[in-house]
Amino acid sequence: MLQLRNLCVTIDGHEIINIDRLDLGPGDRLGLVGESGSGKTMTAKAIAGLLPNEAKVSGSVTFDGRDLLTLNDRELAKVRGKRIGFVFQDPSRSLNPMMRIGKQVSESIRIHTKLKGDAVTTKVIDLLRQVQLPNPETLIRRYPHQLSGGQQQRVMIAAAIAADPELLIADEPTTALDVTVQEEILRLLISLSEQRKMGLLFVSHDLGVIRFVCNQVAVIYGGNIVESGRMEEIIDRPMHRYTAALLAANPGMPKDNNFSTFIGKRLQTIAGSVPAVGKFPSGCRFRNRCQHATESCSTTPPVETSGADHRYLCWNPGGEGEK
Amino acid sequence: MTSLVEVKNVYFHYPRARISSGSSGWTLQDVSLTINLQSTVGIVGESGSGKSTLVRVMCGLLRHQQGVVKFNGKEISEFEGDGANDLRRQNQIVFQNPRRSLDPRMTIRRSLSEPIRALQDRIPDDEELVASIERVGLGREVLTRFPHQLSGGQLQRIGIARSLSVNPTILYADEPVSALDVSIQAQVLNLLMDLREQLGLTLVMVSHDLGVVSRMCEEIIVMREGQVVESGRTESVLSNPSSDYTAALLKAARAASLERVTGD
Amino acid sequence: MPDGLQTKPASSKLWKRLRRLPLTLYLGGTLVTLFVVVALTSFIWTPYPPNNLNLTNRLAPPGSSGFLLGTDRAGRDVVTELMLGARNSLYVSVVSTVIALFIGSVIGLSIAGSRQIVQGPLTRLVDVGLALPGILTALVLAAKFGPGNTTATLAIIIWQIPVAARVIIGPARQILALDYVEAAYGYGRRKSFVLRRHVLPNIGPLLIVLGSVMFAAAILIEAALAYLTVGVQPPTSSWGRFLNETQSLLEAAPYLMFFPGVAIVLTALGFNLLGDGLRTVLDPQQSRSGVS
Repeated sequence: MLQLRNLCVTIDGHEIINIDRLDLGPGDRLGLVGESGSGKTMTAKAIAGLLPNEAKVSGSVTFDGRDLLTLNDRELAKVRGKRIGFVFQDPSRSLNPMMRIGKQVSESIRIHTKLKGDAVTTKVIDLLRQVQLPNPETLIRRYPHQLSGGQQQRVMIAAAIAADPELLIADEPTTALDVTVQEEILRLLISLSEQRKMGLLFVSHDLGVIRFVCNQVAVIYGGNIVESGRMEEIIDRPMHRYTAALLAANPGMPKDNNFSTFIGKRLQTIAGSVPAVGKFPSGCRFRNRCQHATESCSTTPPVETSGADHRYLCWNPGGEGEK
Repeated sequence: MTSLVEVKNVYFHYPRARISSGSSGWTLQDVSLTINLQSTVGIVGESGSGKSTLVRVMCGLLRHQQGVVKFNGKEISEFEGDGANDLRRQNQIVFQNPRRSLDPRMTIRRSLSEPIRALQDRIPDDEELVASIERVGLGREVLTRFPHQLSGGQLQRIGIARSLSVNPTILYADEPVSALDVSIQAQVLNLLMDLREQLGLTLVMVSHDLGVVSRMCEEIIVMREGQVVESGRTESVLSNPSSDYTAALLKAARAASLERVTGD
Repeated sequence: MPDGLQTKPASSKLWKRLRRLPLTLYLGGTLVTLFVVVALTSFIWTPYPPNNLNLTNRLAPPGSSGFLLGTDRAGRDVVTELMLGARNSLYVSVVSTVIALFIGSVIGLSIAGSRQIVQGPLTRLVDVGLALPGILTALVLAAKFGPGNTTATLAIIIWQIPVAARVIIGPARQILALDYVEAAYGYGRRKSFVLRRHVLPNIGPLLIVLGSVMFAAAILIEAALAYLTVGVQPPTSSWGRFLNETQSLLEAAPYLMFFPGVAIVLTALGFNLLGDGLRTVLDPQQSRSGVS
């Protein structure tokens, strides 16, 4: 359904993103995981056509057969909202504080569907119910500040799926929320995706969250997808050294209440920090921080595959039994 | 175990507290707890739990309206004059957002020397500052920089170095790694663990992340809406929570976390 | 990007940065510089000496021999009058703006740092100050102390102090809520230190912009007061009074009023544009300085 090929975004002469390939099938939930400066949000924006004006883009973003990068603003606006929905990080900043909830959700319906008048209101109430908000009839008259963070995010999700999109792009949707609320929102996203056969591109820095929501994952570092494949496979057998390091550095939670084995244990760190834009080394971008780097790493690593759908870019990958 | 900080039946509210429906307007309600010398304590809770406020009340930055807060056996309000300076010296805080906790118009050298200037009335020489900065894994070249030229991880280390420059007895860390990337989080958490051991610090860490707390803290306090729900040794509380709320927190944390067999 | 691509020479980079500066900064800067230069030059040279009554050459039109812009009804050279008027405006504006800004800052910072309970009422008090009609204050002062530059300066100061204070209170409060201020209290700093060494430097850009806007207001007020004859008195020259005089000459020399009028407008405009340009330039840094 969504295919990125050779997507290259350059700003001010610096290459921000260079993705050779990324796929998302209908109903798939793909997690795009990376730290700050990895280019994950830029990738989401590139798909949405929301890159800053000075960005130069090349390659293709094919959605349902059409290359989004070739569309003009009007055509793109039709795709956005109707066929691709968006949910961003901080709902209090995406919701208009002066507009009632009902009106904000209905905007999307009015623009992208042919419904009018009462039919719109019915649909809004129905949507709010689908995102598990209580008393939708009263809620539509409320203002955003009268809702909690979790409720606001549900409203955002309702607005995003209002026109029945085939793909939902969510960028750190639960980062600003409490952990109990987070679980509910994540479950909501999963069930919406399953019920509507809606694809989900979930962008986050949190591997734990992505693991919960997604069945596929792509790890992005320095604008490159360094590894991608099925969720469980990558968690169990990460091939790229960065993926492995990311997994090892994650504090995690003890399995089976083994808290005694956790206390006082140091975390595995990744040496150094993410270089600034334009300061990445040649060849493999991770090589200056990688314990297993060799001479060959100074040239761009080839794409390797391991089994079906597991792709990675590494000269010296880890493998089974190696951590 | 000697108790360092004793909190008994403390009530606190902010000067113009807004009273939301259902709550009583108190940010902290009837909070009692003890922090022992050289212990590591984690305070967990969700937003509105009052955990950050509790830290500020415990170290004396905020004055509680009711109850007793004792540091080293003495009621906090009784620390006056030089004693007040000493109280400040012994209680230091590391803040959540490294970019907001350093004055953007001061060089790192200046920011780093502020506690000593203020509490010890002297200007530390370069050697002292360099030792301080090296102890947190940074080099002397950061001294001449300004905050906007450094990364979040570096700034957080500087914040830690600044608090430790006056040799505090207890270090309060308010969500010290929440604003940092995972790989940097690991570095800073390890650093805190190392420093704690080297310096024999008492560490009180506020966090919403149960995974982080289960590594860093031997004891845990769970808060909800201004009250202590449950407290005790981390192992026992988390493997066998006596409160439904703690159990719910655990369940949610587990769901969105990577499971690990051991801590390594 | 391929290696071997030439890096741009340093001069073209500087040119690029200069080009990106806002137009208002250039326009305002030019006008302000012109004003200051003219005013300062008047101390060492004017085409004719001050108060050079020349009754044989009254109301000479612009372009007459020796009088570039003509003469006024007492035969005084217009150019000289404008230069001397600029000097007066500069003097009054500088003194009043500096004093008002200083006092206003002290008041604003003190209110921002005061306890929650008193902050509201104190801010309202400042608002009352804002609501006081400035011209009325000036007239009252003139009635009490007589007209003149000192009265005008005092009136402007009283008028502008609440403006400065009001503008400063908001951002100062924002900074006081930041973590690094809390950290400072945490290692024992007192509030006065925090206000002086943490808040003040971080509202620096704001003060610069505020200063230029206040300067523009001072120019206008000085001219207005002189126009109403409560400002500086003859024989000292002032744009405002010049403007007043030209009003009765609408039949004899209708063009005359443009000279002081344009001078006042351009100067005030210059400071406003400068302030606007400075704000645009300093803004991106402001988000780094902690004031949102």
